[in-house]
Amino acid sequence: MTMTLLFVLIAFVLLLSFAYLAMRRGRDLPNVDQALTAIRSLDIEAFRNLVDPEEEAFLRARLPVAEFKKIKRERARVALAYVRALSRASLQFARLGDAARRSPDPAIAASGKQIADSAIYLRLRALDAGAQLMLSAAFPSLDLHRARSLVQQYDRATYLLIQHNVLTRAHGRAA
Amino acid sequence: MAHWYKFVLYYLWIAPHVLLVVVPVLMYTRRLHKNFPVFFVYTLYETLGFLLRFGAFAAGRGLGGGLYRYVFLVTAVGSIALRFGIIHEIFNNIFHDYPRLVGIASASTRWVTGLLLVAAVLTAWYSSGAGADNLMVGVSVLSRSVAIIQAGLLLFLFLFSRMFGLSWRSFVFGIGFGFAIFSSAQLVNWTLELTALTEHSKQLLDLLPTGSYHVSVLVWLGYLLAGEKPVGAATYTAPEMDQWSGELERSQ
Repeated sequence: MTMTLLFVLIAFVLLLSFAYLAMRRGRDLPNVDQALTAIRSLDIEAFRNLVDPEEEAFLRARLPVAEFKKIKRERARVALAYVRALSRASLQFARLGDAARRSPDPAIAASGKQIADSAIYLRLRALDAGAQLMLSAAFPSLDLHRARSLVQQYDRATYLLIQHNVLTRAHGRAA
Repeated sequence: MAHWYKFVLYYLWIAPHVLLVVVPVLMYTRRLHKNFPVFFVYTLYETLGFLLRFGAFAAGRGLGGGLYRYVFLVTAVGSIALRFGIIHEIFNNIFHDYPRLVGIASASTRWVTGLLLVAAVLTAWYSSGAGADNLMVGVSVLSRSVAIIQAGLLLFLFLFSRMFGLSWRSFVFGIGFGFAIFSSAQLVNWTLELTALTEHSKQLLDLLPTGSYHVSVLVWLGYLLAGEKPVGAATYTAPEMDQWSGELERSQ
């Protein structure tokens, strides 16, 4: 009887989840304010330093092992907060790109596709880097440096967005 | 059987299939059959299947007739296969423009399918039992397992695409949402069947699968008639983009 009740509950939760997702669909539009907040909250230079392997090598050489592990843990935790912010920004980038992809203008649609593709890759890299940093915080002796490529991917995604804005304005003026 | 019940039972059996005829016609006139060939075939197959079942029902004078049972079995197997094809079609439609995501989405889908298969087998094992008609019990267990897998896969596709900020085009969402309603309602129906119900409750519960199918057909029709909404234009204006562009340039 308990198992049956559990099945009934799962089936109802599934039905409600689909209804919720259908209702949320209209609200999941690209949000410029959220994207701006995400960008403002990022200090990319500070993040770059936090995941710089040379800086880590310098600290490793200068500090006693226990001190180095403590500092590495703290740096990993701070870097993780940046990665989360980057991940949130990438989601907004992807939504904007995905919306622009549906533009009737082929040039804007192509630009939107590039942005969405780049943002998806950024999000994938952010998820990977997040997992790496969590491992790094738990085991400071591990050597993990994948977070650095995240900065390059972020630069590419923002560059594409600037290009897209230039294109949109040019097409707006022409229209 | 009460008069109103008989009317509702027949209405829910016949009406969705009558409405379903409109779906492939609209798809053909809007040239959507080229983008969704499996769903297009499914709507035609379901209509033809209904005509065969209805013919067998009339010839066998009732749902218990031997001919009806075999026609039901054969059409149900085809319908299950086509529904898996439609889920694959939805998958392709969402991810085909994003080659970087296809690999990880395919691998994740395989894992999720494996886990759902285990859940379906466990559920079948838990709820299996001998019935008066072993063939129909087998079909029921198979349909329940398929509903678990299909509902799970659809939920996974909804969540996975949300995780990467990808929105579904209106009609794709309509197809997925329609099947999601149907599969979830089937699960609710079968799980409630496992409980000790009164004869009256059982009769009411019999209306759930056909009722949910009716809702699904209305969802497909609704999304087809509504068409694609223009998304981008209303969501960001030029001054906002200029401000944004400035922020991005400063961050570079």
